[in-house]
Amino acid sequence: MLNQVVMSFLSQAAREARTEMPGSHESLFETGVLDSFSLVEFVALLERECHITVRDADLRPENFDTIAKVEAYVRRTAEA
Amino acid sequence: MNCYIAGTGVFLPARVVTNAELAPLLGVTPELIEDRSGIRERRWAAAEQSASDLAASALGSALVDAGLEAHELDYLIGCTLSPDYQVPGIAPIVQRKVAGCRPVPAVDLRVGCAAILYGLQLARGLIESGAARRVGCFGAEAQSKGLDLSARSAEVTMLFGDGAGAMIVSGAPGPARGLEVIDVLIASDGAYAEELVVRAPGSANGQHWLAPDVLSSGRCYPSMNGRSVILHAVRKLAEAAEEITSRNGIAAQEVDVIVPHQANANLLRSLAARLSVPAARVIVNVDRYGNTSGASAFLALDRARAEGRVRAGAWVLILAFGAGFTWGAALCRGLDGEGG
Repeated sequence: MLNQVVMSFLSQAAREARTEMPGSHESLFETGVLDSFSLVEFVALLERECHITVRDADLRPENFDTIAKVEAYVRRTAEA
Repeated sequence: MNCYIAGTGVFLPARVVTNAELAPLLGVTPELIEDRSGIRERRWAAAEQSASDLAASALGSALVDAGLEAHELDYLIGCTLSPDYQVPGIAPIVQRKVAGCRPVPAVDLRVGCAAILYGLQLARGLIESGAARRVGCFGAEAQSKGLDLSARSAEVTMLFGDGAGAMIVSGAPGPARGLEVIDVLIASDGAYAEELVVRAPGSANGQHWLAPDVLSSGRCYPSMNGRSVILHAVRKLAEAAEEITSRNGIAAQEVDVIVPHQANANLLRSLAARLSVPAARVIVNVDRYGNTSGASAFLALDRARAEGRVRAGAWVLILAFGAGFTWGAALCRGLDGEGG
């Protein structure tokens, strides 16, 4: 599970995009919750809040496209 | 040996293409273009204007700014993604078009939006080695001629504009308020070559580099994974900024003026935030000229000087990132009007 700070960021982004908070498997990009600007902020937030380092090779949008993918990525990276 | 940017110059085509003109061709609204990119208008070259025409005019302005005549140049470095021809390169054509320029070495660098940094490091090396005393370095783009004006390429086509910028790199400061080049850092990572690419014409396209289906397949048009590019760009530019300032004994937050490649307004805002510097220190002209690729940071540098932002003693940080990926930073210091 992503922590409250991360989920609050996404909730705020959804409000700003005037859309509902996407489900776990809905695209954060296609729903407009994340754009290229907020994606940069979001990745920095994940690194800070989840105590992970996103490697250059993992800096791919598909790793952050849905909440489920973000959770899986954070779990994988934290375990590595 | 010290190295200076002794003069700068720009040239922009007269035709202004607003979002209102472009948006219907791309199936989007003018507001969407501005929201996504911060761009309100860009310039497009006329049919009879090539990238070398723009470059020759910009180089002429830079020579005037540096108080030099063309015959005093002894090296040309040209950067473009939209050359006049596949062969020869743009630099020899600019040598021909700049009246009075001697038959000096003229070399092309194909490094996309990081052009100014690669050009500056090469020019600096030539000067420090004694191979050249005054190097004309330019970035020029007429890339509107290679854009896909249809909805399938809207996200890319909305960004790009035409223009040219030039600088005179010299072992002596010029008469105008120039810059001393303190350090240059450049890098590349080819793992991401296809994230921002124009595939054709090229020898990786099977038996023919310009096969009959190239136009319909879109391989001759720019293709970009925009989210990937911005993620890597912000990270690499911030790392480059921190490394070059650190190894020269200052903090990134002490830089007075940041002259970045004008990719889009989102990237510039993200970069300022990542570096913890006020947005007002970042030179922005992407709203008026769009992303002019290899010319972009040259235009921004000239604007910084024209606006009086490069004061004597000011730390100036040039940052650029582009196709390849290639990226880097240059740390410079403002000179006073007499070059001291």
